[in-house]
Amino acid sequence: MASSPGQQISPWRYLTAFVGIVVILYALVLFTGGGNISPKLGIDLQGGTRVTLTARTENGGVPPRDQLIQAQQIIEQRVNGLGVSGAEVVLDGSNLTITVPGDGGDEARSLGQTAQLRFREVIGGPIPANSAAQGATQPGQPAQPGQAGQGTTGQAPAPAAPAPAPTPQSMGPDGTTQSRDVAPVSFSAPLQDPAPPPGGDGGSGGTSSPADPRVAAEVAQLRQTRQSDDPAVQQQAALALNCNAPDPLQGYDDPAKPLVACSEDRTEKYLLGPTFIEGTQIESAQAQQSSNGAGYVISLTFKPQGAETWGQYTAANVGKATAFVLDGAVVSAPRINQAIYGPTEISGQFNQERAQELAGTLRYGSLPLSFDSGEAQTVSATLGLASLEAGLIAGAIGLALVFVYCLLYYRLLGVLTILSLVLSGVVVYAVLILLGRWIGFTLDLAGVAGFIIAIGITADSFVIFFERLKDEMREGRTFRASVPRSWERARRTILTADAVSFLAAAVLYILAVGQVRGFAFTLGMSTVLDLVVVFLVTHPLVILVSKSKKLGKPSLSGLGAVARIGARHRQATAAATTVKGARA
Amino acid sequence: MSTDTTVDASGDRAGQRDSERTSAWTRLTTGTGNIDVVGRKKIWYVMFAVLIVVSILSIAIRGFNLGIDFTGGSQIQLPGTGARGQITEQQVTDIYTSSVGMEPVSVQSVGAGGSSSILIRSESLGPQQLVPLREALFTQLQPLGADGQPNAAAISDSAVSGTWGGEITTQALIALLVFIVLVTLFLALYFERAMALAALVALVHDIVVTAGIYSLIGLEVTPSTVIGLLTILGFSLYDTVVVFDKVRENTRGLLKLTRRTYPEAANLALNQTLMRSLNTSVIAILPVLGLLVIGVGLLGVGTLADLALVQLIGMICGVVSSLFLATPLLVDIKMRDKRFTQQAERVAARRRRAAAVRAGEIDPDDAEPATAELATTGAGRTAAPASAPRPGARPARPTGKAGRSTGGRRRR
Repeated sequence: MASSPGQQISPWRYLTAFVGIVVILYALVLFTGGGNISPKLGIDLQGGTRVTLTARTENGGVPPRDQLIQAQQIIEQRVNGLGVSGAEVVLDGSNLTITVPGDGGDEARSLGQTAQLRFREVIGGPIPANSAAQGATQPGQPAQPGQAGQGTTGQAPAPAAPAPAPTPQSMGPDGTTQSRDVAPVSFSAPLQDPAPPPGGDGGSGGTSSPADPRVAAEVAQLRQTRQSDDPAVQQQAALALNCNAPDPLQGYDDPAKPLVACSEDRTEKYLLGPTFIEGTQIESAQAQQSSNGAGYVISLTFKPQGAETWGQYTAANVGKATAFVLDGAVVSAPRINQAIYGPTEISGQFNQERAQELAGTLRYGSLPLSFDSGEAQTVSATLGLASLEAGLIAGAIGLALVFVYCLLYYRLLGVLTILSLVLSGVVVYAVLILLGRWIGFTLDLAGVAGFIIAIGITADSFVIFFERLKDEMREGRTFRASVPRSWERARRTILTADAVSFLAAAVLYILAVGQVRGFAFTLGMSTVLDLVVVFLVTHPLVILVSKSKKLGKPSLSGLGAVARIGARHRQATAAATTVKGARA
Repeated sequence: MSTDTTVDASGDRAGQRDSERTSAWTRLTTGTGNIDVVGRKKIWYVMFAVLIVVSILSIAIRGFNLGIDFTGGSQIQLPGTGARGQITEQQVTDIYTSSVGMEPVSVQSVGAGGSSSILIRSESLGPQQLVPLREALFTQLQPLGADGQPNAAAISDSAVSGTWGGEITTQALIALLVFIVLVTLFLALYFERAMALAALVALVHDIVVTAGIYSLIGLEVTPSTVIGLLTILGFSLYDTVVVFDKVRENTRGLLKLTRRTYPEAANLALNQTLMRSLNTSVIAILPVLGLLVIGVGLLGVGTLADLALVQLIGMICGVVSSLFLATPLLVDIKMRDKRFTQQAERVAARRRRAAAVRAGEIDPDDAEPATAELATTGAGRTAAPASAPRPGARPARPTGKAGRSTGGRRRR
C-alpha cells in the first residue's frame, strides 16, 4: 500500500465540538435578549428612513471627535423627540447615520440643522410639566443621562448657591476649545448641499424654517402661540404644552421672540423672554470642583462681545433666573446672584457627571459644525418586504444550484457538502442574532448579498479538499488512505485562500463608508465560519465515510473513475518495478 | 511538436488511443487531461494585452455610466399597482412634470408581477418639491401598500448629494490601494517573488478588464459595484493561490532532477487544478447567477443586481486570468533565472539520449516521453491514459514545510 498515512484524528471529537458550539450559540440566542429570535434588519429590508449626515467644519478640516460625539448626542435627543421607537444615531467616522424604522421617519431628514444654544430670560415658571400634560408618554423615551438620583439638579435657583466668583478662575485655557465665531447654520434644505457656514459674527443666529412645507406650517402656527408677545396667549400656550410629545418647534424657535418651553428632562415648563445672547458667544465652559469643596461647578467664559453683553445683562437682572435653552428646551436655569464681568461660575447641586454634561452643552451647544446630508433614503415597508423576499429567494436558489451541482459531481461527498452548508447556515443565523444584540449589527440588503456570494466561497473549500482526495487516489491509494493525506495538503490551501478572502473583506469593512459595509461584514463573517465548518464538520464526516465499508464504495462517492485510474497506476508502477528496464 | 520548453504532447496520442475508455470529460474531471496552456502562452498574452488595452481606452474615452449615488440626485420608487389597477410610466411622468415643473430624468417600470414598481430618477429634489410630489403621486395613483390598501407610505424615495458619492468613491479607492499593498505583502511572504508578481499582474488585469467591460457596455456604476469589484479581488487571488500552491508542490526539488522542466511542471499543475478551478468557479458563480436573476427579476435594479453583476463579470475574469495569465507569466519570470533554463537544457539532453536509445523501435516523433518512469513498459503505457508525470508518484513527504509532522494537528 501507500506510505503510512498521517495520524488519524478522531472525527467524533470534532463533531462533538461543533455540536457544542451550536448548542452554546442557540442557548445564548434563546436565553439572552428577551426571546426575540430574529436578526436585526436594516431599513432597506423592513422599511424606514435613513439619513447620513456628513460633518463639515468651517475650514474644511477633520471635525474633532468630541464635537462629533456632542453632535451625536444632540441629534439623538432630537430623534428621540420624534417619538419613534427603535431610532438610532450612529457615529461612523465623521458621518452620523440616523436610522428610523417604519413610517413617519420623514422628519428625520431635517434633524441635521445645527444645534442652537440661546440664553433667555426666565419670565415665568418653572411650572411642573404635568400640570396639563396629556400624559401620553411616548414609547422609547430615553432616560435622560446624568439625572440619576439627582432630582432637580441644575434646576437652579439653587437655595445654597454661593455667589459666583467675580474673579477669574485660575484655569488654564483649554486647548481643545473651539473659539471660532461661527453663526449657527440652520439646516434649511436637508437634501442639498448647504452653503458653507458663513463666518459672520456670533449672535446672529437667525430664524430658520423647516424645508418640509407641512412641518413649516406647523412651526409657523406654534410660533403664533408659544412665541406670542401677549402674556395671556403665553399662559394658554404654557398650559396646553405637552412636554412628553415631540416638539416640532425644536430648533426652529425665533430667537427674537419670547418662548414657552419645556425643560430638557420634560419635568417643568418655563415662560422665557427673547434671546439676549447666542451660545456662539461662549468662549469656554469647564466643569471643575467647587472651591468650597462640595460638588462641582461650571466655569463659563464669554468672548469679548458676549462678555460685555453678559455683564450688562447680569448687572440689570440680579436675582432673576436666566435659562440656557438648547434647541428650544431649557437645559438649566440658574439664578443670577450679582453682576458678572468676567468668568462666570454656575453652581448648584451638581455631581461630576451632570456638571460635565452641562459644560459640554454650553461649550458645544452651538456646534461649529454644519452637516451636509450625504444621502437620505425612505424605504417603504412594501419595498423592504419585496427586497427581503428577493434576497431570501435568491439565497435559496443559489443554495439549490450548488446542491444539485455537488450531488451530480461528488455524489455522496456532495451530500456531505450540503450537510456542511446547512450547518453553516445554522451557525450563521445564530451569530447574526447575537451580533444584532451585542454590537447592533443590522442585516441589510448588501449583507444578504454578501451571504449569498459567500455560499460559493464556502463550497469552494470543500471542492479543494475533494479534488485533493482525487489527486491522492489517482496515485493509487485507497479512498481511506487518501483522506488524511489529502486533508493535510488541502488544509493549507484552504487556510491561505480564506485568509485572502478575509483580508479583502476586512479592508473593505474598515475603509468603506455607507451601506456597503454590511456586505463586507457578512462576507468576512462567512469566511471565518467556513473555516469552522470545514475543520469541525466536513473533514470529520469524510473520515467517517471513508472508514465505512458501505459508504466508502467508489460508486457512491463519485470517485470511481479516479479509483480506476489509481488502480491502473498501481499496476503500472508495479509492472515497472518488476520488469525494470525490460521491453514489452 | 516543438521540443523547446513546451510540454510534450504524448498525452494527446495516448488520449486518442484511449478515447474509447476515457472521454475528454473524464480526463478533465480526473485531472489527467493534458491541455497545453503554458506552451501557447503567446496566444494568451496577445489576448490579454488586447483586452487590457481596449479596457483602458474605453475607460479613458467613454468613461463610466455613473449612478445617482455619484452624480447626486433623487430617486422615487412606488408600487406598480394602484387602487385603480396598473400604474403606467406615462401617468407617473405626467404627475411628476406637473408637480415639479420639469421633466424627470427617467421613469422605468422594474421588477415583475406583484413586486413590480415604478422607478423615477430625477435631479436633486428638496423637500419643497418632494413632499408635494409624493402627495400628488399618492392622491392620483393610490399605490397599494403591503396590506393591499392604498398607502402613502408605500412610496419610497432616496436622495443623494453629489459630494456623498465622491466620498464613497474616494474611500473605495483608498480601500483598493490598501488591499493591493496588503496582498502584495501577503503574497511576498507566502509565495516566492515570481509568484507574487504574477499573481499581482493577474489581479490588476481583473480590475482593469472588469472596469473596462462596465465602461464598454455602459453598465451603471453604483457604490455597490465598486464594493463588489473589491471583493472580486479576493476571489481572483483565491483562485490563483490554489493553482500556485500546486505549482509549488510540483516544482519542489525540480532543479536536482531531470524529470521535467519548470514550464512542464507548471502546466501539469494547471491541468491537475483545472477541474478544481472550474469547479470552484462554477460553484461560486451559481449563487451569483441566482442573485442576478432574482435581483433583476423581482426588484429590477438595486443593490442585489449591482453586486451580482459585478461579481459575475469579475469572477469570470478572475478564473480565466489565474489559469491563462498568471501561470504562463510565472513560467516566464521563472525562466529568466539561469538555473531553470540550464535545468531545462539538461532535461532536453536526457530526453534526446533516451530517444536515441529507443529510436530503434519507437516512433521518432514521440521522442520525448515525459513520463515519470523512464522504464515504463508497453503494457503500462497502454494501460495508463495520458501519461502525464505524476508528482509524488512516490511521495515521500506530505506538503507543507518540509519535515512538518504529519499529525492531524490543526493550525489556527
